[in-house]
Amino acid sequence: MIEISHLAKKFKVENPKKLSEQERKDPRLKGKFFHSVQDVNFMCDHGQVLGLLGPNGAGKTTTLRMLSTALAPDGGSIKINGVDVLKNPLVARQKIGFLSGSTGLYGRLTGRENIAYFGRLHGMSDTAIANKIDELTELLDLSTFLERRSENFSTGMKQRISIARAVVHDPEVVILDEPTTGLDIMATQTVIEFIKGLKDKQVPVIFSTHHLDEVEQLCDTVTVIDEGRTKYNGDIESFAGLSGKTLHDSFMVSII
Amino acid sequence: MWLVFKKEVIELLRDRKTLFFMIALPLLFFPIIFGGVFYFSGKAIQEAQEKTLKFAVVGGEFAPILTKQLSARDDLTIVKTSLSSDDEAGIKAFVKTEKVDFVLVVPSTFSNDVLSSGQQTIMLYLNDAGLNMVQRRVNEVVKEIENTNQQSAFISLGVSEAIQEGLLNPIVIEKVSIADKREDLGEKIGGFIPYLVFILCLQGAMLPATDIGAGEKERGTLETLLITPIPRQDLVMGKFFTIAFAGVTSAMVTIGSMFVWGVLLAQGMAIKLITEFMGAISPIDFVLMFLMLVPVVAIFASLLLSLSIYARSFKEAQGYMTPLVFLTIIPIIIALLPGIELKGVYAWIPLTNVALAMKELIKGTMDYMALIPIFVSTSVIAGLLIAFCVYWFKREKVLFR
Repeated sequence: MIEISHLAKKFKVENPKKLSEQERKDPRLKGKFFHSVQDVNFMCDHGQVLGLLGPNGAGKTTTLRMLSTALAPDGGSIKINGVDVLKNPLVARQKIGFLSGSTGLYGRLTGRENIAYFGRLHGMSDTAIANKIDELTELLDLSTFLERRSENFSTGMKQRISIARAVVHDPEVVILDEPTTGLDIMATQTVIEFIKGLKDKQVPVIFSTHHLDEVEQLCDTVTVIDEGRTKYNGDIESFAGLSGKTLHDSFMVSII
Repeated sequence: MWLVFKKEVIELLRDRKTLFFMIALPLLFFPIIFGGVFYFSGKAIQEAQEKTLKFAVVGGEFAPILTKQLSARDDLTIVKTSLSSDDEAGIKAFVKTEKVDFVLVVPSTFSNDVLSSGQQTIMLYLNDAGLNMVQRRVNEVVKEIENTNQQSAFISLGVSEAIQEGLLNPIVIEKVSIADKREDLGEKIGGFIPYLVFILCLQGAMLPATDIGAGEKERGTLETLLITPIPRQDLVMGKFFTIAFAGVTSAMVTIGSMFVWGVLLAQGMAIKLITEFMGAISPIDFVLMFLMLVPVVAIFASLLLSLSIYARSFKEAQGYMTPLVFLTIIPIIIALLPGIELKGVYAWIPLTNVALAMKELIKGTMDYMALIPIFVSTSVIAGLLIAFCVYWFKREKVLFR
């Protein structure tokens, strides 16, 4: 289970002159600091997929980065299966699988080496890694390019290896930041199927996206954030009911 | 830490560009420098020696012996001219247009009788900008005539042979240099070696540093690495050791190449001086040079990693690293300045002290006690920079710029 309460993060603005007109008008800009995330709250239980929605710059990526321990929050708390991420980041990292749309691979390593490297960093034995790679190869259809260097992979191949890399250590929770960005229909479908597989295994998944059709297919609950604050929290049915029309309309209603 | 190091080294060894700067360049640099200098200078000397020079004598009728003896040489060919000694511009143009290699202008007062005419001046016009054998060949002929004229004068004066020597060279200073050939040559080239070695080490470490810092950011792999259950300092040390490994490999290849090619080329080209010089530097001196390079490389590695991790992209990192090359040159230049020795404060200045020590080792005049300040100062600076690197790696402002 993932529990986030009153999460906050601010960044110091190094050069205010470089800010765009829109950024200057953003109410989150207070003095020398930009309060990217001000008060974000949500919870994701076992077997649930939570759709994290929000316009560009709403604070989704910053929230997920704090959740993944890459950034340290300035306020609030994050708990993953009871482990306080702030107090025990190294323990929490063992439990997290994180993937973003912009995640890259080590080009001079093969697909297998990329996955195995992260397995080793998570303390797995070579045998356990080999077994897990076999399992993921079947699940994500990696066999045709697993032994090739990843520098010439297509976006879809890269993303499939990245997914394998993110879950090689059997994480207790999975965080996906716009994982289908830039993918073609086939690769997107692979990602969606994979998330469904995680759900079946009772793994909580937090899934940030701009594609509401994916939300409709996958998510049990939805959290909408805007200007760094939670604007909506609830199950998908209630979210759809916000407008009574499409999810897009509901989204628009939620951020007004 | 070693997991990170192992993976980085695998990637490093699979990158052709890095391998070129780390191994091929230092390996090829010295044979190209040594071989190129020896080959081209040798060839130029040989060509100059074999060339038959054309010359003209203005006023040759006043020095018939000189003209005859010059003409008699196989390596000189006389060209007739109607130029007069007053026409200096014409003489200069004659040489400049390469119709002849040189012109001798003999004054009408020229005489072989030293006692009646005193010291004689013969003008030699030549283009002395390039390598040539003009002066040597003219001097050989003139010296012979000079000796004959001196002898005739001494005989006329009735001066004995012993007095003759005294008259010609009243005081002779016999130089006894306590500097052996190694010290002499070491003084001349010893300052240049650290310059090459430092720059090659830096060059060898620069590419991997860019790749494993800014490159990780650009590829989008850094964030994934930061959220693995590996303490930040272990990540830094793994990366630091990779850069240091590249720098040390570069240094090892550089010094090994310098030693092997220096000896091989000197022997192959039968350059006794170089062979003796290289032979005089003991393996221990080479080991010491290498050991001193370890903290130097650590300084470079931590600086490069700090710059690389601060940069947003590969290109930005290279922009930050270029000035580092110039900054590295400053302490080496200090070591090259006259009067700067491996003593006092200079023994404590990192990089300068290593450059000075390398020079001393090459010269064979190293005070081994100076190794203490060298290793202490460079290691302390390297340690502080590594600590800074770890601190830098924990800063969100640096990692997520």
